[in-house]
Formats: sequence, structure tokens, C-alpha cells
Amino acid sequence: MTKHDPESSTSRDELLQRLELMEAMIAEGRGFTTHNAWIFVLWGLVDLAGWSWQNFVHTQFAGTWAWPICLIAGTVLTFAGKALQKKPQGVPNSVACGRVMAVWGMMGLAMAIYVASAMITHFAWQYSYVAALLMMIGMAHAISAVILHWRVQGVVAAIWWVGGAAILFLNSRRATNDIMLLEMCFGMIAFGLYAMTIEHRRGRHWANKSA
Amino acid sequence: MTDFETTNPPRRDDLVQRIELMEAMIAEGRRATTRFGWIFVMWGLLYYAAIAWEVYLPAPAFAWPACMVLGFVIIRAWRWRLKRSGAGDEGIRSRSISAVWGAMGCAIFLYIGAAAFSHHIMNPAVNAAVLFFLGLAHAISALILRWPAQGAAAAVWWIGGIAIFLAPVDATIYIFLVATFFGMVLFGLYAMMLERQRAASLVQHHA
Repeated sequence: MTKHDPESSTSRDELLQRLELMEAMIAEGRGFTTHNAWIFVLWGLVDLAGWSWQNFVHTQFAGTWAWPICLIAGTVLTFAGKALQKKPQGVPNSVACGRVMAVWGMMGLAMAIYVASAMITHFAWQYSYVAALLMMIGMAHAISAVILHWRVQGVVAAIWWVGGAAILFLNSRRATNDIMLLEMCFGMIAFGLYAMTIEHRRGRHWANKSA
Repeated sequence: MTDFETTNPPRRDDLVQRIELMEAMIAEGRRATTRFGWIFVMWGLLYYAAIAWEVYLPAPAFAWPACMVLGFVIIRAWRWRLKRSGAGDEGIRSRSISAVWGAMGCAIFLYIGAAAFSHHIMNPAVNAAVLFFLGLAHAISALILRWPAQGAAAAVWWIGGIAIFLAPVDATIYIFLVATFFGMVLFGLYAMMLERQRAASLVQHHA
């Protein structure tokens, strides 16, 4: 709160305390993201599986059910993985992680409703539909990047947005497939592996410390 | 930045203090949203102005770009004034909320721009996506601020998005008008009313 707020009676100590809390919250939020980085890798692989199934298995069943089955499998695996996951070491109280959770949770919910509506009404073939999905993921990365002051995630957001715009401009099935493949590799799996490396280092640091 | 690797397990007093601060920050974030309630109303009215221009005035191709640019100019000017007066934004919650709306603005701008230039703008998937983006921003903000009223605004936008997929193409404009009224104008007016009440209670408090 600033001195301009008429109801403010914030002392210097309180401001310092707040600053420390904010910094701790940013660090916690990043720790939370790296701890859950396997989800990015999982969804990258799930998307790759759905993409490969639809593109390499030319049956009516694959054309209709490849994506619904893969998306449901991804959701089940995410929940199962979260249930089995241990609480992160060194992250004392993850109240701040709520913000990052809010971003990804709501992105997941919005995307699930959007995808389901498009599939049920047979609009999922439009390039603009695929582009919207990429834009939505980019939006979540961008918000998280700003909240966590994390440039790498900001770059990932840009990758998703550029991909979304490129799909609309290139306007072809082949280009859409190639862009999707690139996005899954770089925007999802590579970022997930990078975040997992950070988490691994952090875990080792804690193990050394407690030894 | 505080290194979370070196943070010791918190004591009970620390936890209580943190919870108090968190609550104060949530209140700050909500207050920031109510203080900026006029922005929701302004965007809602600009949407209506753009639609009216598109239907009734000449050069309809310029309706949306002109109204959107006008909206951005007004917000930039207001932010510049705010910065000059030193009454900037504060609190991590407020910054989080700014991040949400900023990212939504960028995503919609890029998406609509690309869709317009590549002639995809009339696709139902594009129109529905815009409503979903707006709903997503409201939903994230609602969850961060623990604010059911904003959650309802998010639901309005998402229901509108679903309706665009289900309804005939001609109905898209009406769905957008209704969603704008409830999810933007009405929510903005509600936020402005809360801000007015807060200001009135402050005046009484100081009297």
C-alpha cells in the first residue's frame, strides 16, 4: 500500500515485511511450477500421442476418438500423478502457489469446455480453433511468467502465441500439423524438462543440506 | 529474491502473520479491481459502439480497430496520469491481476489481429475463443481474489462461448451483446458501486 492511500498507516517495517513476503511468494511460486513440471512433459507426450494416432493411423475410429481418448487419459494421469506426488521439500507454506494454481486450473477448465463444445458441435476442424488453443496456453504461460518474474516462461508464452498466429496465417493442414509438433516439443516437453532439471538440482541441494 | 532453498520451516507466529498479510493483500487486490470498475464499463460500451458503427455507419471495417485503439489510448492516458501523480498500483495481488488482464489483452489482440488479416474472423471458433479468453481472465482473477461475483462474470462469458458454438451464426452478435452487458457492463457497475460505498464509508470514518 502506498502513502497516497488515505486509509494507509503502513509502517516501514511492515512494508519491508511485505516486500520479503512478496519475494518469498515469487520463489515459492517458481518452486511450485518446477515441482509440477512433469505435467508439462506429460501433456506434451499426450498431445504427441493424440497427434500421431490421428495422423498415422488412418481409420475412422482414430479420426473420431484419438483426441478424446488421449485428453481423458492425460487428465486421469495428471490427477493420478498429483495424488502420488510427494510434498515439495523446502517450500514451507504454499499459499502463494494458489495464484499459479489458479492460472493453470482455470486454463484447464476453460480449455476443457472450449474443446468439448467445439468437438460436440463439429467445429474442431477449423484452424482458428487450433490457434485459439495455442493462444490460451500462451496466455497462461504469460500470466505465470509475469507473476513469477520468470523470463524463460515468458519466452515459452511467446512461442505459443507465435505458433497460434502462424497457424492462422499459413492456413494449411500441413503447416498446422508441423506447428503443433514444434509447440509440443519446445513449448511443452522442452520447457517441462528444463523446469524438472531445476527441481532436480533443488532436490539435490536439499539432500546435501540435510545430510 | 528470497531463496526458498534456504528458508527455514515457519513458526506459528510467522504463519499467522503471513495469513494476515495474505488477507490484506486479497482485500487490496479486490479494492484495486473495484477502483478500476469503470474500465469494464468502458470496454463494454466500446464494444457496443463498435457494433453500432459496424451496422449503422459508413466504413464498417474501421469500427472495431478504431474503438479498440480508442480504448487502449484512454487506458494508457489514465495509467500515465496515475503514474505521474504517484498513485501507482500496489501489492502482489494487484500485480497478479494486472498480469492476468495484460496477458488477456495481448492474447486477444494477437489472435483477433491474425484472424482478421488471414480472413478467419467470421469463424465460430474465433468468436467463441474471444469469449473464452475474457471468461478465463475473469475466472483467474476471481480465484485469486476469492470473489464469487467475478466468478459469475466468468461463467457468463463461458456460457456465451458455448452458446456461440451451439447457436446459428446469425445469433453470434446477440450472444456477444448479452454477454457484454452481464459480464462487462453490469459487473463494472457493480464494482463501481462497491468502490463508491468504500469511499463513502471512508468519508464517514474520517468525519
